[in-house]
Amino acid sequence: MRDDPSVVALVVRAARSDQSAWFEIVDRYAPLVWSICNRYQLSSQDSEDVGQTVWLLLVEQLGNLREPAALPGWLAKTTAHECLRVVTAARKSERLGTRLDDAMQFVDDAVIEEEVVTAERNACLRAAFTELPARCQHLLAMLLADPPRPYAEISAMLDIPVGSIGPQRGRCLDRLRRSPELIALVAGDMGVAVPGGEPGA
Amino acid sequence: MRDDWDDEQLMAALREAMRAREAVPDWFIEAGQTAYAWHNIDAELAQLTYDSHHDADRAAVVRSEAASIRALTFTSAHLSIELEVTAGSLLGQIIPPRGGTVEAQTSAGASTTTPVDEIGCFSVVPIPDGPFRLRCRTTDGTDVLTGWITL
Repeated sequence: MRDDPSVVALVVRAARSDQSAWFEIVDRYAPLVWSICNRYQLSSQDSEDVGQTVWLLLVEQLGNLREPAALPGWLAKTTAHECLRVVTAARKSERLGTRLDDAMQFVDDAVIEEEVVTAERNACLRAAFTELPARCQHLLAMLLADPPRPYAEISAMLDIPVGSIGPQRGRCLDRLRRSPELIALVAGDMGVAVPGGEPGA
Repeated sequence: MRDDWDDEQLMAALREAMRAREAVPDWFIEAGQTAYAWHNIDAELAQLTYDSHHDADRAAVVRSEAASIRALTFTSAHLSIELEVTAGSLLGQIIPPRGGTVEAQTSAGASTTTPVDEIGCFSVVPIPDGPFRLRCRTTDGTDVLTGWITL
């Protein structure tokens, strides 16, 4: 796992009572915690409890994380353990003698690692996107909408000729590729190429 | 990702990243933000040293009946806090016994304070909904905070 300097900085700042750093950590990694709750098919209520417990544990641990760069891995494992606890407790209270699905019986390091890599890539892409000029963000957001907005609508909204939407999209994507976040992501990719590699704990 | 990602691949990756963030409900984000309210509390931390549920986990292999009372013990250098959970109430005792107050702090940032009598007993009613922890301040000046509890 690459050492993401921005994650380390966020953890250090949050540990020193910088609330904006904490909000950024939550915004960045809530999708990771959420996706794991979904993998365990938790109800909204259970997801809320798991989410709260995970963030509260992190608040408690902020100053003690041995390796701040391993935060995403820590979050993913802690979330999976909490999900497993909730799922197991629910099974017991329903007195179901059934066994949990194999995928849910234990915390699978390889699955966690994959989720962490995906979450990191997504977080880098989102961070890079928010640093694009506003025009690029508007254009790409319209093209990324589901379904994508018709070129005629984009042309009217952004006041550019239809014919220049394609070239502008290309230039915006080039900017995105050259952003520090994406360059770091490409460089770090080599570090996660080993299948099942442990986060640098 | 690859250095040579073409525009379509980059757009697809960006779409996935945006979708992953949009899928997260606002209340889920807000709960995470709120948790920071409990940062930097200056109290001694008490660790969970006993949980009857853990024993029940093992017992359940041979005995399917669930225990109706859950017992928890938190221990710090200066005192222990023993808790018993029954339907609707949480009873506790501070060991060695002494008076003071117990504050139940919820993850949402709310707190309620109840007195601890001179033999160290207290009750928290109703049991907080969702994760909570207890902060015990005793008359001799000890200030202890338990880990987060979800019942």
